[in-house]
Amino acid sequence: MSTRFIKYIEGESSIHKLDPRAKLTFIFFLVISLSLAYSMSLVIPLLLISLAFYSLARLPWSKTKATWKFILLIILFLSLLNYTTIVLLYAEGPLIETLTSPEVVKRAVTPVLKLLSLALATATLVFTTPPNLYAPALGQMGIPYKAAYVIQLALRYIPEFIAEMNKTLEAQMARGFRPRGGRNPIARLISIIPLVVPVTISATLSIYDIADSMELRGFGEERCHTWYRELKLSSKDKLLVALSYLMGAIYIALFIMTR
Amino acid sequence: MKAVSKQFSTTGIVAMAIGTALYAAFNVFFNVLQLPGTQLVALRPSVAIPMFFGYVFGPVVGFVSGFLGNVISDAISWGGFWWNWDVGNGLLGLIPGLAYRFVSKEDIFRAKGYITCALLSIVGSIVGMGFAAYTDYIFGYGISTIEEATYALFLPAAVTDAINGAIITPILVAAYASAAKGRARRI
Repeated sequence: MSTRFIKYIEGESSIHKLDPRAKLTFIFFLVISLSLAYSMSLVIPLLLISLAFYSLARLPWSKTKATWKFILLIILFLSLLNYTTIVLLYAEGPLIETLTSPEVVKRAVTPVLKLLSLALATATLVFTTPPNLYAPALGQMGIPYKAAYVIQLALRYIPEFIAEMNKTLEAQMARGFRPRGGRNPIARLISIIPLVVPVTISATLSIYDIADSMELRGFGEERCHTWYRELKLSSKDKLLVALSYLMGAIYIALFIMTR
Repeated sequence: MKAVSKQFSTTGIVAMAIGTALYAAFNVFFNVLQLPGTQLVALRPSVAIPMFFGYVFGPVVGFVSGFLGNVISDAISWGGFWWNWDVGNGLLGLIPGLAYRFVSKEDIFRAKGYITCALLSIVGSIVGMGFAAYTDYIFGYGISTIEEATYALFLPAAVTDAINGAIITPILVAAYASAAKGRARRI
């Protein structure tokens, strides 16, 4: 059911076929490398890697349009913000000179490139991994199955709560509450605020019933837990994992050596 | 307000999952309400949800609901996620969970508990959003000056979250206290 909400796009590309565990390892090391990369020449290879990762997934433009709009808006806005604050705060000498100096442009653009590579990599992970594989993948990576089960349960309950919100809104309307709606998106959003308290409380009260029924079926009894979907690492997955480790090692070494 | 080991009981696991799902479901709607002039800082009355789960079920539950809820809602609304904002949202839920160190078990659903809860929500907003905004600066994710981190990210996020949290969290706790009254085994 949650498949409808998480932005998963079905496909046959090589990234789609990768084991989610390999992709998670890749994201982990990419985040580490990005956090340690301090200069533009170190960020650009990472950006190219995440761009390659994204383009290998061959995602259709029509379904990723919203994401790109969001990313481009952030990039434009942040670059301008960076540029103006650096110029205003750290300007030395004549204004025209600082405006065009390569140092300023570099300082304004590098963080945005970092953010862009992070966004590309995580978006590819979300777009190419079926939501029902996150919990088995984490469970088979050695994370305790109870922790992996939190993700599984949460994904299962999101559609339930969205339905519950609609139901509560209708119940309130039947009692005379008129949410200001119409075409204004902000007014429609504000009409959700009165739902926060009733929906949260009814959901919280149901926790004990869910926990009871899970315990009655034996959840938490055994120390280990097997997964119905058993994941296997193919040679491509192993290659990606090895490359991720290599990338992480290079960036950590560079960071330590230049310290 | 339980010891850490008890938070990993079946009830704790379900509480984490329900908190995550609630926070994600509300955030998907509120993510559209972004504050003008600040990047990505959305006005979220739903921040009270991880705070409430932290206060009632313990710090670990609060952290997980905030962290995972933010990851999932970002994955739903645009497709990716940023880890340091997720940790920041987790801290929003973790800090009200520390209430069990300040108030006794009898007081959690009384006036003293509500005041502690409101104060901790404010502290949580400052610490959580501070972590997110300044890690953005330290690791250079998108911004390059500390002034920007303060005025464009930290202040708008922390102030709106503190106001929303300090008002809505005690209301949620009070509503929960009266709804759970008389039911067996409820805290």
